[in-house]
Amino acid sequence: MEPLLTVENLTVSFRTDEGLITPVMGVGFTVYKGKTLGLVGESGSGKSVSTKALIRLLPGSARIAPDSRMHYRAKSGELIKIETLGNRGPAIRHLRGGEIGMIFQEPMASFSPVYTIGNQIMEAVRLHRGLSGRQARTLAVDMLDKVGISNPRDRVDQYPHELSGGMRQRAMIALALSAGPALLIADEPTTALDVTVQAQVLELMRGLQDELGMGLIFITHDLGVIAQIAEEVAVMYLGTIVERGPTRAVIRAPQHPYTQGLLRAIPSLDRLNDRLQAVPGDIPSPLERPTGCGFHPRCPHKIAGLCDTTAPAETAAGPGRRVRCWLNEESGRPAA
Amino acid sequence: MIRLVLDRFVGMVFTMALVSLLVFLIMELPPGDYADRYAFRKYSGTGVNVTEGDIQAIREDLGLDKPLVFRYVDWIGNIVLYGDFGQAFAFETPVTKVIGDKVWLTLGILFATLIVTYLISIPIGIFAAVNRGSSGDYLLTVFSYLGLALPNFLLALILLYFANRWFGADIGGLMSPAFERAPWSLAKLWDVIAHLWLPAFVLAWSAVAYQLQTVRATMSDELNKLSVTAARARGVPETKLLIKYPARLAINPVVSTIGFDVNRIFSELPIVAAVLGLTELGELLLRAYLDLDMYVAGAILLMLTFAIVFMNFVSDILLAWLDPRIKLGS
Repeated sequence: MEPLLTVENLTVSFRTDEGLITPVMGVGFTVYKGKTLGLVGESGSGKSVSTKALIRLLPGSARIAPDSRMHYRAKSGELIKIETLGNRGPAIRHLRGGEIGMIFQEPMASFSPVYTIGNQIMEAVRLHRGLSGRQARTLAVDMLDKVGISNPRDRVDQYPHELSGGMRQRAMIALALSAGPALLIADEPTTALDVTVQAQVLELMRGLQDELGMGLIFITHDLGVIAQIAEEVAVMYLGTIVERGPTRAVIRAPQHPYTQGLLRAIPSLDRLNDRLQAVPGDIPSPLERPTGCGFHPRCPHKIAGLCDTTAPAETAAGPGRRVRCWLNEESGRPAA
Repeated sequence: MIRLVLDRFVGMVFTMALVSLLVFLIMELPPGDYADRYAFRKYSGTGVNVTEGDIQAIREDLGLDKPLVFRYVDWIGNIVLYGDFGQAFAFETPVTKVIGDKVWLTLGILFATLIVTYLISIPIGIFAAVNRGSSGDYLLTVFSYLGLALPNFLLALILLYFANRWFGADIGGLMSPAFERAPWSLAKLWDVIAHLWLPAFVLAWSAVAYQLQTVRATMSDELNKLSVTAARARGVPETKLLIKYPARLAINPVVSTIGFDVNRIFSELPIVAAVLGLTELGELLLRAYLDLDMYVAGAILLMLTFAIVFMNFVSDILLAWLDPRIKLGS
């Protein structure tokens, strides 16, 4: 199957007062139509920055390295090389929303408080579907209905603060979908919601994805959520993907020490009496990137003299799986 | 929205009633009244002996002997019912005649100043916020601190000099001498407008500097809001996006301080008017006070405060229109 989106060697740097920082280094992934890729990582791991680069939403101080490749197959069949587009102009505006939709973490803040949700949905419809007036409104009402908002005819004229958190996130999904994107990026869409509402929104997104056949990139720091929605997962640490593969396989048998740590940190009802195990230490600032493997200062299995000097390459680790760790490289490679 | 307008309108009328009472009491504050002043003017240096009884007679003649409450009701009643602001004692004509055109010219200066202030400060403030940290932004910052630091009567003199040297503008005044006694016509109106920009610019100067910084600061905040990123992520063209989302909220503090701006313009106007040789109300107000010509002073004070109260009403309505959360809160 031909991929919807292929990202290769994506590197993003920012000029800051403290110097050049590189929150995303050589990231690559592929998204297929109708499939979900989960991006997992702590805050600061570069997952949001790499997806923002896809629709060129990064601030002016950001630089995408010249050898980065972001190739997107548009609905018309045309191949769009996103890295060649600028931050402005009709080409990128057509891509934003119309081809690649985005949902953000905070449903309250993603709507402007001074316009009705209908106004903001219809804006997307007008921009990308060429509809106007009554037709745009009808589509907006239909979309609100589709995402499970009751009384969509009344809700369409309400302001964001008149809706509950879960409703707002549903409305945001309706907004993103009403422009008819082929790929949806959901940046922690359920993090700010109650657990019960979280499950409903996940269920909704899965249903809509099946119905519309969209590709989906689902960003979260919660491996539990990933298990419910993504076929494939990529775990990011300090701007690089450290482990990737089919979600079930990765969760059952994580191979990178970081993934193992993340899984142990999930609270579970089976282990009520144990203390939660946090991954020791903090994610370092991109300004103080450790030498060698970025994870080695926090790694329980680090090999002195190797992990702290040389960064491991990505190596195969089972069917469809790849991992960036010396432990795998040592065992996967015949001893010289 | 209609409910809110009505609500605020009733509030405005109530405020105006209170203000009129306050103005009347202020008029009463200076020691003595026009009867003393009149007797002094008429008989000083003539050698005539003026008794307390004579002054009392003048007082009765002018209607100043009645109790305070009666005089207030008379005064405000005549204003509301007949538009009659009473007698200007010193001029021996109705107040409306003395004030006459000056009201319109003062209001003209006021609105011209407000328009100049907002037309300059809002777009430039937005520009500075969008291009934050650029050389244009720094230049504007320096310029606006200069605006805050420079006293505007000095600026008036400088501008007057250059306006005269470069554009051959008349020195001072609100109209060409040819129009001064002419009846109002389009040509006269145009002439006034051509003269108005200079005082408007001078009075707007410091407000522009201040509001520019306000707009720049709030706009910078608004630009970082997620809702702006979200709008950009759905492909809204940049210029439309800036106006529709962050700018609408960024001008909020400017709109809510329209009343303060009006107040400030009225307090700075007399000095600027003196330098530029304008005829406006401030100067007349001062003279009326010196003469204890209380109905003239009262009429002027009333007009100025009503203008402030009215502009506050306008600012309330505009705020509610800009941010629909406001009316739902009430």
